[in-house]
Amino acid sequence: MKRIVFRRMLALVPLVWLVATLTFVVVHAAPGSYADTIDNPRLSPETRELIRARYGLDRPPLEQYLSWLGAVATGDLGTSFMYKQPVSAVLARALPPTLLLAGAALFFDLVLGLILAVAAARRPYGWVDRITTVLSLGLYGVPSFWLAGLLILVFSLLLGWFPASHMHSVDAASLSALPRLVDLLRHLFLPALCLGLVGAAGTARYLRATLIDVRSSRFMLAARARGIPESRLLWVHALRPALLPVVTILGLSLPILVSGSVVIETIFSWPGMGQVAYNAARARDIPLILGATLIGTAAVILGNLAADVLYAVVDPRARRPS
Amino acid sequence: MKFSRWLIVVAAAFLAVACSPPGPEAPSDTVVIGALSDIASWNPYLAEDAFDEEILSLIYPSLAVEQVDYQQHPPSFAPSLAESWEWSNDHLALTFHLRTDAVWSDGVPVTAADLLFSWRAQTSEALGWLWSDITDNIDTVEALDAHTIRYTFTHRYPYQLMDVNDGPIVPAHAWADIPFEKWEETDWRELVLSAGPFVPGLHTPQQEIVLERNPRYFVADRPRVSRLVFRIVPSKTGLFNQLLAGGIDLVNDIPPAEAARVLDNPDLELAVFPDRSFTHICWNLDKGVFADPRVRRALGMAIDRETLIDAVYGGFGRPSIGPVLSTMWAFNRDLNPLPYDPAGAIELLAESGWEDHDGDGILDRDGQPLAFEVLAPSESEVRKDVCLLLERDLARIGVRATPRLMEWGAVQAAVAEGNFDAFVNRWIEPTQVDLEGIWHSTPPGAPTFNFGHYSNPEVDRLFEEVAAASDFESQKPLLDRIQTLIVADQPYTFLVENTRLVGVNSRIHGTKINDATIFFNVDEWEITEQPESTSLPE
Repeated sequence: MKRIVFRRMLALVPLVWLVATLTFVVVHAAPGSYADTIDNPRLSPETRELIRARYGLDRPPLEQYLSWLGAVATGDLGTSFMYKQPVSAVLARALPPTLLLAGAALFFDLVLGLILAVAAARRPYGWVDRITTVLSLGLYGVPSFWLAGLLILVFSLLLGWFPASHMHSVDAASLSALPRLVDLLRHLFLPALCLGLVGAAGTARYLRATLIDVRSSRFMLAARARGIPESRLLWVHALRPALLPVVTILGLSLPILVSGSVVIETIFSWPGMGQVAYNAARARDIPLILGATLIGTAAVILGNLAADVLYAVVDPRARRPS
Repeated sequence: MKFSRWLIVVAAAFLAVACSPPGPEAPSDTVVIGALSDIASWNPYLAEDAFDEEILSLIYPSLAVEQVDYQQHPPSFAPSLAESWEWSNDHLALTFHLRTDAVWSDGVPVTAADLLFSWRAQTSEALGWLWSDITDNIDTVEALDAHTIRYTFTHRYPYQLMDVNDGPIVPAHAWADIPFEKWEETDWRELVLSAGPFVPGLHTPQQEIVLERNPRYFVADRPRVSRLVFRIVPSKTGLFNQLLAGGIDLVNDIPPAEAARVLDNPDLELAVFPDRSFTHICWNLDKGVFADPRVRRALGMAIDRETLIDAVYGGFGRPSIGPVLSTMWAFNRDLNPLPYDPAGAIELLAESGWEDHDGDGILDRDGQPLAFEVLAPSESEVRKDVCLLLERDLARIGVRATPRLMEWGAVQAAVAEGNFDAFVNRWIEPTQVDLEGIWHSTPPGAPTFNFGHYSNPEVDRLFEEVAAASDFESQKPLLDRIQTLIVADQPYTFLVENTRLVGVNSRIHGTKINDATIFFNVDEWEITEQPESTSLPE
């Protein structure tokens, strides 16, 4: 196992380099530059040329690439054009809100997914199963921006239960620790639920299928013959082995955990990685786009690795030599 | 603990959070303003974005305040940091007398030394201020005493005062030790000193920017509100929803289609005023089909502007006539809008050889159909709708205009490369009327706003005369003639003079929002208490 982890970690470097290089090529191939995206009617074409020169955008792309690569090799991700701050500082600031949002979303994802799956698997093809199937397929197919709009309309505009945007209320800085935490949770609820609901639909579908498989296995028949109640059979005996695919899903969720959801963070004005990446792409902020890509790529690779390791930890069969 | 019990705990926690109070008590003296983006730099000499400039104008003082009286004559100025000024007899020297009671937020007086230091920043090559061209015609700057400063110009021209006033004033005593070449890498947030109505408060990146009332502001008892909070919502739809929900007090640039919802809301007011911008179609004159002015005129005559204004702009707008807005002093009032005359358009096109020879419903000449693409940014709902109406109107005279919608950065690149047929664009007109940047002919490859490559030698010659004119009175006839020539040539089809719509919560009073800035009289804004409102805007 250690060797596998070591080899995968070694592969991380060239993979990240490859993805970042491809991103660099794609960003440069895209029309327009940072100077074109600045919203200021006073900027003349000559001034925009000055801005291009200021950020080194008038240099040949290969020269820009080599200088960026050299800096990255020394741990310097460059300076963001739009934020006028080191890319590492911008990303470090955006990461905690994204981790918080994605963590909460994952909680909704797993809890709701589990409830839907168990309800459906209790009596396969019964009316509860059919309803949860329609519900989960519906949620899976709904675009997240539409679901976000619906949640804002119901919970924010009509019921007034939760705020529609931002991490805190105006003046939240003046609050003491506990009210400030509650304020944060209230702001967290809708974006996390929105992300979690879509994920829960997928989790429910995976888990339902595995649960039904497990229920028909021989050890379940033996357990049933011992007179174990049906609910315990399902929640304890069947659920544990059925959760194995969820570990894979968890690992694959890591990239979203780190790179954020562009759509949800933008709609809910959540100051995370997704919003940073969206703003960077719109502003053609090349150092920031590349920095966010590096982090995202590393997260995908590490997420897959984490899933494999976790799988081996929870399922002894995966550790057996073939 | 069993899973079902966990669920009960989670559900209880959810209910507790949902039922908890919505936030801290509403600060009754705070105005919450919607913003699409965050501030990038707190140093006005590093600001690039118009939003940054607008916020910084509330912090750093200016010598004078440009008034919004440019409809009748060139804009006048009211005293601000300078309590008065006078011109030399030859109009080449301008002397300002500064207020003696103006201080920075650390208590140090604002003096001529600050203006001298600001002048050094404006002209520093190491700093490379983007707008340093406003100093081109200023020869020398000298401090006559602590509160008197004189600017001497190389020659007399109409915008001398405006050029001096456009240079931000920054604190010499706090910033002079930082070399200009280090400015770009300096974190300015902690170094900001204000002599304007507000000082920076808490800044939460990508969330909000707080400006607190400056207790040392030189105008007594101003500003009247304690704080401005800029809440950053990165989408226009989100901003508008927050305005409707009461979370934001003021949103600039309400889409015309949403105006009715603001008007129907008893808590909101809609400020409506002529915007300093016009929407037009820029024809690419390098494309053979648009080289003929009769074709351009015919295409313009086929467009029903009144219907366009009603359908796309909700009735908010006026037909555009020429390159200067009809609300500006420089507008040539002898010009008339192009008539809506589809029959006349068909005749004009026939004169230039465009007829439906093959009976397919599309005009053609030498076997080529009269078909082209109309480029517009996909982010702008208004311009997308304009494209659709153009397509419909032009189809009625046998012209196929296909909308080509692209992301704004891609549009800019396509236009700069000349890779377009027609482009639906919007120009914002500064009060310093400058037609040369858009209409003077430019050599191939040079950076220009003359995207369609319009060229008229007489117009070029007139621009030289405008540049040499020493005052507004001698400029006006030249500008009139330029407008007449451009309208006759129709390198653009001038569509709509836009109307600006600003949504304001009715608890805010005394706003005189205008097309110069929404913050024109921000220090006079007041808030009336709303007893029924107990919760804080989210």
